[in-house]
Amino acid sequence: MKWLLIAAAALYLFGSFRRPVFIAALVLQLIYLGLRGAALGRLPLIGPQDTLAFFSVSIGLMAVPFLYARGLRASSSFSWGTGCLAGLFALLALPFPTLNMPLPPVLNTYWFELHVALAFFAYALFGVGALLAGMFLCNRQKPLQDLQYKAALVGYSFFSASMVSGGIWGYYAWGTYWLWTPKELWTSILWLFYSLYLHLRLQGPRWEKVVAWAAIAGFVITIFTYLGVSMLMKSSHSF
Amino acid sequence: MLVRLNSFLASLGLGLWLMGGIVVLMAIGSFGGGGAESSSINDVALLVWLREVPIAYSWWLWLTIALLAVLAINTILCSIASLRSKYQRGNFLALIAPQVMHAGFLFIVAGHLCSAWGSEKGVMTVREGQAIGFPDGSTLTVDNITGQLGDMGMLTAYQAEVRAGSGTGASPTFISPNHPFFLGDFGIYLKDVQLFPERLALVEIHREPGAGLALAGALLFTMGNVVLMALRRGR
Repeated sequence: MKWLLIAAAALYLFGSFRRPVFIAALVLQLIYLGLRGAALGRLPLIGPQDTLAFFSVSIGLMAVPFLYARGLRASSSFSWGTGCLAGLFALLALPFPTLNMPLPPVLNTYWFELHVALAFFAYALFGVGALLAGMFLCNRQKPLQDLQYKAALVGYSFFSASMVSGGIWGYYAWGTYWLWTPKELWTSILWLFYSLYLHLRLQGPRWEKVVAWAAIAGFVITIFTYLGVSMLMKSSHSF
Repeated sequence: MLVRLNSFLASLGLGLWLMGGIVVLMAIGSFGGGGAESSSINDVALLVWLREVPIAYSWWLWLTIALLAVLAINTILCSIASLRSKYQRGNFLALIAPQVMHAGFLFIVAGHLCSAWGSEKGVMTVREGQAIGFPDGSTLTVDNITGQLGDMGMLTAYQAEVRAGSGTGASPTFISPNHPFFLGDFGIYLKDVQLFPERLALVEIHREPGAGLALAGALLFTMGNVVLMALRRGR
């Protein structure tokens, strides 16, 4: 089944500047995810292999509306940029072993799947926003800034919903909607940072460059929250 | 003087600095100082923990709480200023949606404050048939501890029967992971079971007084967020 992921990564990295190739890579990834989910009987969201693959699919999926947005239809660099991002995470997933063990009872709830899936959709949109911010800093086109704001706003909404579902799950699973763990601290840091970002935009047009740099910084925090905390800090709340 | 103080506390710039400050302090705290999972911070109410641990260990959390308190004031004043300046101008929903999100945020902060003040946690191992006593005199009996082993020898599911009160009149309820039992203010959670050589249940009892407020805040925030997204659609 892994060949589907390899083929998708290759299409993303070498052909995604053409939108049909981007869509073909995404379809391959969705087939991979569907087969893996069917084999496990649940959404594949446990362990680095499954989560990196899911993150890669999320990037592809969340980028689709932007590929066809006014202002980006003529641009191949956005499509290739998001393709490279999705391809990179698909490649990162490959060296890790697949975890086929049954789900621990505490994770066996729809709240968990909703919490994790929404978080990855948000992470993906923060990545799309950072890419659009980078493009805006290069050529200063106003539509790029509006799209960057939209990506961040929708990502923030997904992320807030993920935190709410995580809190409800935590209350039913652990007796509390909040635990002091590095992962939860960084989740709050990320949420507060994007609250800051969305308010920063209210400062007016003179702050456009700062807002764009904040979108890029936000994605760095996103990656640290997802990968950095799991790799560098001791937390039960990681993959 | 009061006008200047009000305009300072209601300024967007202050809100941005406060959010930035909290982000930095929490990031520092996450690398140690109680944010680490090994810390006892999750075993007692937060305000009890803050009183007990040395300030060298908890300074970042004291500062975070102080900044959060100012941010709460800033949020209230900004909402009032926004409602005043934009009232009778434009769309009512566009005016109210961000303020509903602000209210949700404030409810969540209030919920955390309630929990920081009065949350309780107890952990115990209970034998089959044993009763747990509560401060108000009520009891809860744990019975019929069962579990299913998967192919790899791991417990894939487990549950226990609980019965509130004494006598046979009380109806039994099953508790399992993600399905606690609530007795008054207390939630009874089944964390683990041992089936051999004797049947034991690891039970946690939690009291989380801020949960209702936090949930109300989360629902308000989500409602405001959905309305805001619908309004910004296509713009």
